[in-house]
Amino acid sequence: MSDTAPDLVAADIGKVFEDGFEALTGINLSVAPGEFVTLLGPSGCGKTTLLKTVAGFHLPTTGRIELAGQDITTAPPERRDMAMCFQSYALFPHLSVADNIDFGPRQNRVPRDARLKRLERLLSQVDLGAHREKLPNKLSGGQQQRVALARALAMQPAVVLFDEPLSNLDAKLRDQVRREIRGLQKDLGFTAIYVTHDQAEALSMSDRVVVMRNGRIDQIGTPEEVYDRPETAFVADFIGAANILPFERRANGHVATPIGDLTVTEPPGPGASYLVWRPEDAEPCAADAPDAITAELTERAYQGAYTELHVRVDASPEQRLHLPHAAMPADGRISFRLPPDRLRFVTGALA
Amino acid sequence: MVTLSETPVAAVRRRPRRHQGNWLNRILLGLLLTVCTIWLVVPFAMAVIWSLVDPQTGWTYPDVLPPSLSFARWVEVWTTTALPQALRNSYLLAPTVAVITLILAMPTAYCFARYDFPGKSVAQVLTLLPLVVPGFVLAIFFSSLIFNLGIYSRFLSILLAHCVLFLPYAIRIMTVAFENVQDDLIDAARDLGASPWARIRVAYMPALAPGILASLIIVFIQSIEEFAIAFIVGAPNFVTIPSILYSYLGYNFVRPNAAVVSLVLVVPNVLLMLGLERLLKSANPAQAGVKG
Amino acid sequence: MNWQRSGTIVLLLMPGLGLILVMIGSVFYVAVMQSFGFFNLVGEDQFSLEHWRDVLDSRAFSRAFQYSAYIATVSAIGSVILAYPIAIWLRRPFRGSLTVSAVLKAPLFVPGLVAAFLFLNIVAYHGVLNQLMMWLGVIDEPIRMQNDRNAYGVIFLQIWKNMPFALLLLSGAVQAISDEVLDAARDLGAGPFDRFRKVIAPLTVSAMQAALIIIFIGAAGDFAFQVTAGPTNVQSMAQFMVFLKDSFGRWNQAAVVGVCLMGLALGGSLLLAIASRFLLRGGRW
Repeated sequence: MSDTAPDLVAADIGKVFEDGFEALTGINLSVAPGEFVTLLGPSGCGKTTLLKTVAGFHLPTTGRIELAGQDITTAPPERRDMAMCFQSYALFPHLSVADNIDFGPRQNRVPRDARLKRLERLLSQVDLGAHREKLPNKLSGGQQQRVALARALAMQPAVVLFDEPLSNLDAKLRDQVRREIRGLQKDLGFTAIYVTHDQAEALSMSDRVVVMRNGRIDQIGTPEEVYDRPETAFVADFIGAANILPFERRANGHVATPIGDLTVTEPPGPGASYLVWRPEDAEPCAADAPDAITAELTERAYQGAYTELHVRVDASPEQRLHLPHAAMPADGRISFRLPPDRLRFVTGALA
Repeated sequence: MVTLSETPVAAVRRRPRRHQGNWLNRILLGLLLTVCTIWLVVPFAMAVIWSLVDPQTGWTYPDVLPPSLSFARWVEVWTTTALPQALRNSYLLAPTVAVITLILAMPTAYCFARYDFPGKSVAQVLTLLPLVVPGFVLAIFFSSLIFNLGIYSRFLSILLAHCVLFLPYAIRIMTVAFENVQDDLIDAARDLGASPWARIRVAYMPALAPGILASLIIVFIQSIEEFAIAFIVGAPNFVTIPSILYSYLGYNFVRPNAAVVSLVLVVPNVLLMLGLERLLKSANPAQAGVKG
Repeated sequence: MNWQRSGTIVLLLMPGLGLILVMIGSVFYVAVMQSFGFFNLVGEDQFSLEHWRDVLDSRAFSRAFQYSAYIATVSAIGSVILAYPIAIWLRRPFRGSLTVSAVLKAPLFVPGLVAAFLFLNIVAYHGVLNQLMMWLGVIDEPIRMQNDRNAYGVIFLQIWKNMPFALLLLSGAVQAISDEVLDAARDLGAGPFDRFRKVIAPLTVSAMQAALIIIFIGAAGDFAFQVTAGPTNVQSMAQFMVFLKDSFGRWNQAAVVGVCLMGLALGGSLLLAIASRFLLRGGRW
């Protein structure tokens, strides 16, 4: 993909609001055509501000935004080849489903025949043909979400921007609409930038995930990369569950940690501040096996697919293990080993 | 492909951009405040100056300001006209109207807030009737009705008419207030064994108090200001502040006297209004339902 | 619904809504009956259409009717047209916006008679306005602006007093539109004018109708502004009605004018409301 010309480029974007709040700092991002990119982070991390800056609702304080080689930094939202799906759906309450979808093409003086054809196709794509004359408040949340999507797609934009579009739906519906959005995106081939605070959503939908914190980008990568190889302590902690430990360097591929000396395949880099392992990385083993860590069990919670164990090695902070079908050991102690290739080093402070 | 570039792109300009509409807002604001000065400050300043004109020297063209100021007009209006009587009438009438209107409005408001029944929206619209009948039509045919019924107390007649006229405001405000009473709180008070009186004190009063005060103040102000009924029903024996003011504005226009009476009429109301504003701000914002 | 519950509701509505219906109903009844020759204070009660004929045939009446209709229409439309842009401008709070809206709403709390008096001071022959214009060299001699023939003074006063009311209603409606809905319209290619025409106007049409109705009714029944600042060659409906009642106690004829004034207030305001809805909804309901 790296040889395709980037479609959307945001270079060194900074945004300081009028009240002096620095919402974005040094954001660099480029998105290829047809790519699905998710902006992920806790609330207040600047992900929605970044989306609205890309959309044109905020003017960046510094930096430049390009779409298909053209500078659109100061272009108003209506002049950008993008369409937005809002968190509240923002449907026009006084217009029917069909009129909502038709609003954009009508504004842009698309010829009547083309408009009608487009409307019919979209209504069938989002499966709302039976509801075309209804007002938005007569529809369910999932249907409203689909109208919002169809209304954005009616603009036939190069880029569709999603601002937490599923946050108002219940869990089951969210899963279904998530797959619908992804399916449409693959079929129609538009570029998508998707804001969410839900890591499961980000991991399951995206080609790339952009993890943000305090107005800065912490890491950009495929879902596998950000989960398996987090670069910062924040990313490791925010995505999935992680055990994060301080460490000291020892000779020949060893590090000392509160849960004992561990063997690593790769020595920590110069900036590394913590050692990270995932709860599911632990492999149960006999207490006398080499590299075995024996810990005291403090808590056990059955989770269905796995069992979560909270353990402590001497005075170490509590560690989490995810093991399939782990029975409660009789003596309250459990032994496990951590494969050296599953131990990762991260930079940065713990949030 | 998403990339995280280490160094900023060279071509990026690091100049801060101004927020667009900022200067526009500032100009509009300045313009509007100028207009508002002309809108409010100048007229009232004129009224104050006119009320302080010294009758000895007067204020005639082309003097920009009166040659001397005195309270002589105030003393004169107070001692030689019916203003003290009008003040007594108005300030006796208005509080009575405010209290009675509130008492009359309570049951209807309670019903609107806590019962659902067919035709409720029609009933709510019908409470607005006094607002859509032109004031002088109401005044003249109310006086005709009074004559026909043989009621001769001007005070009672105006009292009754004012209560009906201002009921819509009181009902609206108290409906919002009753809607703010939380069922949970009533149930909780009951659950904890509170007596009916304690229940009212704990569950109802905190939600109702701002509404009650707002209703009292609004009806009080409206009653003080009301002209049509006070003028038609009260004339010629029962004077209120607006009818005195009218007598100075009509055929014999006495500017300094009118200035004095205008200020007497408007200043207490403005102070009350400011108090009300503060009250509504400190209370639950949902209770700011003053707009009919 | 059981009887006990219905009874409770009726009892609760009695002192408030009941009193309103009885009072307004009887005032309306008295006015209508008096216009047909009943409820006379002196003389026999007798049904007659004579009063209607007398009043409707008089030139003074048709002038008063047209004049009041004109004042009410212009005041209602003028207030709403002025209030709309201000309401949109004040939609999002900014520094100073609270002060601005407080100053703009202040006239709501100034009694009509006081407003008329303040206005007379400003436009008087040697008043501030004339002095200022002479000082600026716009005019050489003071202009007579009091009681002008075109009733500009009355219309100005009506708008001064009623614009804040329209602003109050429209602000509420405009603020109820979410930012995202307006952003969406913008994102879909609607410029400022289209955003007003296609989104804001249709969503605030009810508030605007309420403002039009209330202002129209108030201005149609105006007495105080007309008597103090209005033209002397024509009477407003309320003024005409009071004049008939006061001169030789022509109560029956006053009643005819009163009934017509109620008709004007209701009919005119409804017409205005319907027309505005039709206009703002682009011919659709």
